[in-house]
Amino acid sequence: MDPASARYTIRINGHLGATVLSAFPALVSRRHGAHTLLTGVLDRSALYGVLTEIEALGLDLLELRQLAPQRKSAESGDRRSP
Amino acid sequence: MGTRRLIARDDLLATMDRAVASKVTIISAPVGSGKTSLLRAWADRPGQGHRLAVMQVQRDQQDAQQFWLALLSAVRHASGTTSGAGPPAATPEFNGRAMVDRVLSELEDQRGRVVLMIDDLHELTSPEALDQLTRLLTNLPPNAHAVLATRHDVRLRLHRLRLAGELAEIRAADLRFTERETRELLDASGIELSEAGVALLRQRTEGWVAGLRLAAIALADHPDPEQFVAEFSGSDRTVAEYLVAEMLGRQPDDILQLLLRTSLLDQVSGELADLLTARPGSERILLALEDANAFVVSLDPERTWFRYHHLFADLLRLELRRRLPEQVPALHRQAAEWFVQHGQAADAIRHTQAAGDWPDAARLLADYSFSLTMDGQEQTVRALLQAFPPGADYPELALIRAGYNLAGGRLDEAAAHLAVAEAYAETAAPDRQRRLRVAVASLKLALAARRGHLAGVTEQARFLDSPVTGQSDEDIALSNDLRAVALMTLGTVEASLGLPGAERHLREGAVLARKIGRPYLEVRCLVQLGFASKIHSSATTRRRCQEAIALAERHGWGAEWYMAPALITLADTMVWTGEFDEGERWLQRTLRALQADTGPDIRQLVHIVSGMLQACRGRHHEALQEFSEAQYLGSQLEGSHALASQVTGWMLATQARLGTPGEAGASLAALADEQASSGEIHDARAAICLAEGDPAGALGAVQDVLDGTAPVIGCGTVVEAQLLAGLAHRQLGDQRAANQAAERALALAEPNRLILPFVMTGSRELLEALPRHQTAHAALLADILDVLHGSSRKADDQPPPQDAEELSPGELRVLRYLPTNLSRSEIAGELSVSRNTVSTHIRNIYAKLQVRDRSSAVQRARELRLLGGRPRALARRSPDRGDA
Repeated sequence: MDPASARYTIRINGHLGATVLSAFPALVSRRHGAHTLLTGVLDRSALYGVLTEIEALGLDLLELRQLAPQRKSAESGDRRSP
Repeated sequence: MGTRRLIARDDLLATMDRAVASKVTIISAPVGSGKTSLLRAWADRPGQGHRLAVMQVQRDQQDAQQFWLALLSAVRHASGTTSGAGPPAATPEFNGRAMVDRVLSELEDQRGRVVLMIDDLHELTSPEALDQLTRLLTNLPPNAHAVLATRHDVRLRLHRLRLAGELAEIRAADLRFTERETRELLDASGIELSEAGVALLRQRTEGWVAGLRLAAIALADHPDPEQFVAEFSGSDRTVAEYLVAEMLGRQPDDILQLLLRTSLLDQVSGELADLLTARPGSERILLALEDANAFVVSLDPERTWFRYHHLFADLLRLELRRRLPEQVPALHRQAAEWFVQHGQAADAIRHTQAAGDWPDAARLLADYSFSLTMDGQEQTVRALLQAFPPGADYPELALIRAGYNLAGGRLDEAAAHLAVAEAYAETAAPDRQRRLRVAVASLKLALAARRGHLAGVTEQARFLDSPVTGQSDEDIALSNDLRAVALMTLGTVEASLGLPGAERHLREGAVLARKIGRPYLEVRCLVQLGFASKIHSSATTRRRCQEAIALAERHGWGAEWYMAPALITLADTMVWTGEFDEGERWLQRTLRALQADTGPDIRQLVHIVSGMLQACRGRHHEALQEFSEAQYLGSQLEGSHALASQVTGWMLATQARLGTPGEAGASLAALADEQASSGEIHDARAAICLAEGDPAGALGAVQDVLDGTAPVIGCGTVVEAQLLAGLAHRQLGDQRAANQAAERALALAEPNRLILPFVMTGSRELLEALPRHQTAHAALLADILDVLHGSSRKADDQPPPQDAEELSPGELRVLRYLPTNLSRSEIAGELSVSRNTVSTHIRNIYAKLQVRDRSSAVQRARELRLLGGRPRALARRSPDRGDA
């Protein structure tokens, strides 16, 4: 893994369909209530590329979070919530 | 979004009206917020009291020059006076600062208020262009206002405007549709929906304009609008994706195919769409889509080119990749081919890259990089170059990399790439091979010139003498661009070596450049041509320089660094003919154009001309300093240079006139034989003798010059020798011989009006003693005496400036041209304003300076020192701008 890379979770309002999701091939998506969570390992420029896509597609960005690298259980922790 | 069904958003338009009362308005809101529609609706209202300059930034615009040329065109279009200056020409030497000045000047010259609208500003990714735009916005003239629309806040440093309350902002919340507006939108589309339905729709889209418009399209002809809204409202999918899917699901196959297959184009025409869909009738569909307000807009009044709304296009592209992934490269390939055939190289290369055909893209980029650079798209070429996958190495690209390394001064890297490019050229097909060889030779010459390794280098360019051939117009055009560049480079190198081919190649280059419509190359050739003929110091030299400068000024390049050789050569000819004030003016212009890396040959001439001017004004200390500096720079030049003996001669003579002839004599004795035998040094020896009170020695010194046995640089040396002889005869008391020498000097000086030697040798009394009836050159004599009297006056301090009503920046700009012999129309052309504007400024100048004609205006302006430096109109308006 690139030392400058990190795992990010991006929360977007609404459910993304297959078309919009195809704009984020590097990210795994998961529905979370009325939101969509996109998760993946990104370096800085890839992260800004994703943000640009979100802007271009008119998506409603709610939250951007970098997950601490040592917490391998971060995702499973998330998964427990409804 | 189409213009047909815009609903009247009166509240928003009123907000715009209020905003436009301040200097700059920024509309910053996400994609689909209705920014463009608002701009159009506001612009299209009847009875507006202002002109509009409208431009839209191209997608991902990384090229500062492309942005500024579009903006300048928009401003000119608004003024309706596109004639006169002609379309702004691109240049490989883009000067953003000069461009901003030009736009400001044109805005200022507009009659009445002008509103500059820049849409999609977020697409401008060139930091350089954003800095320049900041400067434009913070210096807008009082009659101008700017409206910027952008998806996100851009990096403009407008805090000063904000603090001054001169910045208005309209943001996403202001743009959301109210329920009333939602209702109006639906009514306009003939959609019947209950109050509850309208409220639900607005709530679901949160008043987001693109969402509501998409919904209106999906709802039109829908059998059950209430049910549609209920389903939409119940869905958790994002608004745009849901609605676009709905909309596409309801399109017949031909429209769907067209939308998908053309989505990868930034702009689409019927012809191009027919090609990509492999069926006719696309134009009809595009027109119908625009009429139906389906996120398709035409870009020209004839409605031949269209573009899709950005959000819509992005979703279509994703859909295309999902539904027809295997078609995508083929579609890019087809588009690329079409763009090649239609001469749109940058688009062609972009699509070839998108198709993943990297070697083809590299070949295209190599073929077109020179022409694109000449088209002012160097930054585009760099962006295309960067788009190649990192690590992959294509020999085609070596040529371009060589050019960049050369421009960046990395000469060893340039040479390495050039070697790869040369080897690659040998593997190419015959026509390309010829072209590539010309390009390689051109770069080799330039590299050799940068290194100063010039011996034998021009041999390589022999093949330039054979004419351009090619199989297609495109081949010939590419070849001609390369050939013109090569001729310019070759001629420049030859000129610096004093080789005889220089003038022929430069003239040929200028003619070719004019033929193929490359004003930049024409200017560069003419500049070098003027500089190359400097030794002649003649009317021809002057005409060549003036021609080069006039052409450059027509395009706004008059102060560019590459103009320095022509500017200083013109100054030189002016000083030789005794026009010292004019010479000083051109010298000052040269100093403004000079750059740190200007070559020693140019800087040497600058010091020589400065020294000549100082000497003529009796400031011998300053003159000596300038000549010493010139001599030092001359020693930096490779080999012996043409002006060496002139500089040394004048330096010694100046020392003698300063009262230290002994030192001068010692320096002279130390000179190498070759130089000591030149006419210029003989003249210097004579001047030293005269200063030492040894007129007989002086006569002996100039003997070889007078009888033509000593080599001289030009006729000026002989004129000088005659005058020194005349002065010697006077000291010896032989007035008759003195008169004869003066008369011979006049006769020699007459053809080119060489007045300088009379001033430098201090021959005033010699000439005054010459009886008028004894000379055949009475007119020239009178002129020279005028200059001699004038220059002695000039040595005194000028009267202090008196108060005059302050001139406006526009008037100062015009004032600068009054000392020239340009007509009002020509001045208008130079400044890219109308002739009427120039006439108005001139009237005001006369009134403010209290004069009646041009020459007294110039005289008065000189007294007030309004002509000395370049008037910094902008600096006066905001002295603290941070980009100086």
